[in-house]
Amino acid sequence: MTDDFEVATATDSTPRHLAPGEVGIVSPRDFLCGEPFTFKSGQTISGFTLRYETYGRLNATRDNAVLICHALSGDHHCAGWHSAADKKPGWWNNLIGPGKAVDTNRFFVICANVLGGCQGSTGPSSLNPATGRPYGIEFPFVTIRDMVRAQKLLLDHLGVAELHGVIGGSMGGMTALLFAIEFPRFTHRVLAMATTGRESAQAIAFNEVGRQAIMQDPAWNHGDYPRDGGPRVGLAIARMMAHITYVSDASMDRKFGRKKKENAAGDAYTLDMQFEVESYLRHQGQSFINRFDANSYLYITRALDQFDLAQAHGSLESAFAPVEADTLVVGFTSDWLFPPEQNRALALALLRAGKRASYAELATDLGHDSFLLESEQLYTLVRGFLERDQLYTFDYAI
Amino acid sequence: MNQLVAKRTVDMEIIGDWVEPNTRVLDLGCGEGALLDFLVQQKKVSAVGVDLDFNKITACVRRGLAAYQGDLTQFLRAFPDQHFDRVICSRTVHELSNPTEVIFEALRVGRTLTVGFVNHGFWKNRVHALLHGRKIRNEVYKTEWFDSRPANPVSVADFEDFCAAKNIRIARRAHLAGNWRTPCRTLPNLLAGFALYDLAR
Repeated sequence: MTDDFEVATATDSTPRHLAPGEVGIVSPRDFLCGEPFTFKSGQTISGFTLRYETYGRLNATRDNAVLICHALSGDHHCAGWHSAADKKPGWWNNLIGPGKAVDTNRFFVICANVLGGCQGSTGPSSLNPATGRPYGIEFPFVTIRDMVRAQKLLLDHLGVAELHGVIGGSMGGMTALLFAIEFPRFTHRVLAMATTGRESAQAIAFNEVGRQAIMQDPAWNHGDYPRDGGPRVGLAIARMMAHITYVSDASMDRKFGRKKKENAAGDAYTLDMQFEVESYLRHQGQSFINRFDANSYLYITRALDQFDLAQAHGSLESAFAPVEADTLVVGFTSDWLFPPEQNRALALALLRAGKRASYAELATDLGHDSFLLESEQLYTLVRGFLERDQLYTFDYAI
Repeated sequence: MNQLVAKRTVDMEIIGDWVEPNTRVLDLGCGEGALLDFLVQQKKVSAVGVDLDFNKITACVRRGLAAYQGDLTQFLRAFPDQHFDRVICSRTVHELSNPTEVIFEALRVGRTLTVGFVNHGFWKNRVHALLHGRKIRNEVYKTEWFDSRPANPVSVADFEDFCAAKNIRIARRAHLAGNWRTPCRTLPNLLAGFALYDLAR
């Protein structure tokens, strides 16, 4: 997910964070799980932390919770501002807030940084209590299922009796789908956008280039590096390349075209930065290394690659057999990372398995990150899915 | 109920009669889901709709219906034989670019296929063509030719010929007069305004 997709537009008088219809200033919290956690790999840690944010209130029947699941490089901060000085709001602020598509007047919205992440949740950059040093690649391998199970423990801790809905794009869509598979009674609605039941060879290939950029950087040192150091060059290159996969030819062309940097020297034969797109990608890479841990990047991309619902359950239909949730899958025409076909395949498999599933496809030219689009059409769909009055409980299994 | 509303709901009532309760129903060209919503409420069917338009899918989702945005043929191909008890294709068949393929696929994935269409052989249409020599415009044919999607108007005789030629069994038929309410029992190709068929292989 790119991190410049949405830029807060400052209003003339009221600061945006104080405006009505916004969740305003928010603070992250930490959930400390003191119980040992066993990963799918069989490896165990003695406990873990998940950093999370919540907006809105849990109702008396504790069934109005909506869980937001972030993508590879996302985090728990999906709405509001951390301080008045914050330039940007949370990454899905356009969707979440009082009166917005995910209405915080109505729903108790929760978003947690995934297990294995690096934004406050336990991951490879956390201190290993056994050694007093960061885990590095001693950290257990993380799967999407591990992320889901850890988040379920957080939801239990928050007193959530059942999930009204779980929403996510990209990796978040995988997480959302897995919630419905792992906790069918608990999960009532799944909204998965720009996602897949398993990555194609191309998507794995891009992840591998990113991993190699990191691991071939001598500063990676087999995952053993100081907190403020590490493979900064490799991580920046990984991010630059991944960023291209989140957008599209059309959107890059619109944004940059062949525009040159102001100080670029004509047609000079130089390897110095010439085009604006080069400078933009370098900026993306540089800002990423200040907020993301290289080992987390390796772990989470690996978790993405390993995710394969059909292989894990024999077929997509059997994977979805336990699902009781209503599911809505949304694909985006210009998404070439997790293209519409892969999103459609999920909805079709759910329908074949006799589940209630819908598929909608939005025509955009923004690529994979289209799920973050500011689109009234998308908002109406999301709101309609979350707020419709009746919840039918058909099961017309084969 | 004014005549326009009556015309909008005519296929709902007849299809509603034909649909067995608690069955699996697929609506090809479901639009905003009015028919499926009716069937869910009246017959407790489990329903899925297919349509091409994002906003129509949104309307279905808001109604609590399962709906799929995409091509009809590709959707049908994704399902095993007889997955649905009934497939409905009402007021869609004249807009299909590949009617034979859709009808055959629908007969494969459904035990029964219900087809409903405006009878283009209706005498008023013939008179209109004869007198005016223009694309017909009235409360049924609402758009000018340049504002319309390509359409493939079909008559009762055309459709029955098609079924005979393709060995498709007509299990049930309903012809309605020009008011789309009174049953039409004679010369349906001339006197029926709307026709509904239940087909099986």
